Amino acid sequence: MTANLVVLFVLALAFGIAGTVGGIQRGDLVGNVRTNSGPLTVQAQSLYRALSDADSTEASAFLSGGAEPPALRSRYLGDIATASAALTALSASGSDTPALRSLSVGLPIYTGLVETARADNRLGLPLGAAYLREASAQMRNVLLTAAKTLYRDERAQLANDRNGGGGFPWIAIPLGAIVLILLIRAQRAMTRRTKRILNPGLVAATLTVAIAIGWITVSWAVGAEHLHSSRADGSDRVNVLVNARIDALRARADEALTLVARGNDVSFDSDFKAMMTDLTGDRGLLHQAASAPVAAGLRADVEAAITDLKAWQAENTAMHATNDKGDYPGAVASAIGPNATDAPALFAKVDDDLDRGILVANGEFAAQAKDAASALRGLAIGVGALIIVALAGITVGFQRRIAEYR
Amino acid sequence: MKSARALLVAVSAAVLLAACSATPADVTGGSVAAPVPNGVQDPAKIPPAATAATACGDPVASLRPPAPLPAPGHMPSGSTMATILARGRLIVGVDQTTYLFGYRDSHGAIVGFDIDMARAMAKAIFGDPSKIQFVAITSAERIPYLLEKKVDLVADTMTINCDRWAQVDFSTVYYNAGQSVLVPSTSKATGIDSLGGQKVCAAIGSTSITNIAARKSHPIPVAVNDWTDCLVMLQQNQVAAISTDDTILRGLAAQDPDVKLVGQPFTSEPYGLAMAPSSSDLVRFVNGVLEQMRSNGQWAAIYDRWLGGPAPTPPGPKYKD
Repeated sequence: MTANLVVLFVLALAFGIAGTVGGIQRGDLVGNVRTNSGPLTVQAQSLYRALSDADSTEASAFLSGGAEPPALRSRYLGDIATASAALTALSASGSDTPALRSLSVGLPIYTGLVETARADNRLGLPLGAAYLREASAQMRNVLLTAAKTLYRDERAQLANDRNGGGGFPWIAIPLGAIVLILLIRAQRAMTRRTKRILNPGLVAATLTVAIAIGWITVSWAVGAEHLHSSRADGSDRVNVLVNARIDALRARADEALTLVARGNDVSFDSDFKAMMTDLTGDRGLLHQAASAPVAAGLRADVEAAITDLKAWQAENTAMHATNDKGDYPGAVASAIGPNATDAPALFAKVDDDLDRGILVANGEFAAQAKDAASALRGLAIGVGALIIVALAGITVGFQRRIAEYR
Repeated sequence: MKSARALLVAVSAAVLLAACSATPADVTGGSVAAPVPNGVQDPAKIPPAATAATACGDPVASLRPPAPLPAPGHMPSGSTMATILARGRLIVGVDQTTYLFGYRDSHGAIVGFDIDMARAMAKAIFGDPSKIQFVAITSAERIPYLLEKKVDLVADTMTINCDRWAQVDFSTVYYNAGQSVLVPSTSKATGIDSLGGQKVCAAIGSTSITNIAARKSHPIPVAVNDWTDCLVMLQQNQVAAISTDDTILRGLAAQDPDVKLVGQPFTSEPYGLAMAPSSSDLVRFVNGVLEQMRSNGQWAAIYDRWLGGPAPTPPGPKYKD
């Protein structure tokens, strides 16, 4: 009898510890998703985007001739500031990866090349365009590659936290089930021997253990469901749209750099076409984003992006025709002009569509992650308290039984 | 080679130090790959040497001009010039990337030595140098554009040779260029033959690469997409010299006060204006205008404007009738 008491007591205590500690860990991981790996993924995204935007802005500014438009200059500076801030936030998170290091070392080299290009361009020297092309190569071959790796790493960390936070409680639930079975069997045995129907201590213990099991299970199921949605409706959508936006920005830079290179480097134009295929091809990013079951608002944004992208593509074709006729100033005007039919306005529409989509999906991510966190709120304390009651019930129940024996 | 290596090592060391000093003391092994122009080939792929030249007699001999030259606005009826006159503008294929010869100024207008030559032709036909349309083309597009009649004339640092005579017609020589060498002003190199084992830059696929590789001193050719990329590499201490036509080198030298041309040209590149083979009357007319420009000082004025005086004697014409 005493041995039974000890076994049951120890198992119930183990269940309580597993439930409480598990609850705390789970809460930490979900909290990480919300406040650490989630936001860091967003930081990595904005770093990636700011760098791509700097590349395309500077190429456009260059086409305007020696004195670049002030708006483009401040946009470029804003991009560099955003990228530096994101880089600082990511470095502060403690990871020291090769990608982070390439970015910290490579960004000042990039800005140095851009300023050299500007100084030469301002003097009317074609050398400026050569430095700009080198800056763009540094951006694409070094910085954007590293930013992509960083973004992937942050996403992996997010997936890791999410899987941990949404994993089935494999220790607590089986332990709880064993305790419950032992409690029921102990009561049956007692009933058989003593003809007493109920032992109040053990009944209380059984109930509290059952409640604890239920609580852990429900919070797991609800939390996991929200975490799943935060991925499927949130960060996975964001990922596709972020990649689409980066492709669009790169195509925009290609368009301007094709004109900066003045026919002596066709690689930019073939890159433009590759980006368009990646975006609007049958297996392109935008079709992926539109074909998945998504919220109506998001689908509308993606479909608008596809339509606007086609308009921009048509403008690009017309621009090339203008340039091929020998009308370079006409082509430049169409590439950087202020009209609604010029490339900047058409590109801005695509960018806005994607931006709205990303905002919706990021919002969905945050909301689902928050709900996942609420599902776990109070779990550790609650389970702890329930188990203390259960332990007391077990002790009282067995003591009474032992007392009756004497 | 040694000095270039030493320079590179010094530069990398400086960059390394800079990178290290920005990071905490316990971080070591910070390194950085110095940026290079996109698409650089180091060492360069060597384009095959030109096949045995088609025989064409003396390549620089062109068609004799008519005497007297028709007056502006009064072209002989039925002539190629009359067609151009009726159209209202002369269409000329030009380069827009070769500083001083054909490039866009900071306002986007195409200007340069070749451009002024083309304008002189428009002036001779219309009496107005602005009756002209420029079509910016790449080197590879020069002959196709003439054969497809997309342009009347190509004025684009184009070397006259027998291979090209087989496809298009040339005017008499309007500029005698030759492959030369550009080095930093601190360099001790005296010409292509003192650059053995060192990196020398030229454009991808150009005959300049073939010529560099063929030198007995064995310089190491490095190829880039555009001539200005060579100057970027020179400024970044990644090549010891640039070698191509002196015209292009002068355009690069004009963008950097700390470089100099050294040695004598080691190839001969006579430049001519190119025209479609079916328009020999236009070739004769253009040669007549060139004669006038040589004698009335206009050639010298254009030389002064773009390359800085004193202008040498203009290249004399040779005719094969």
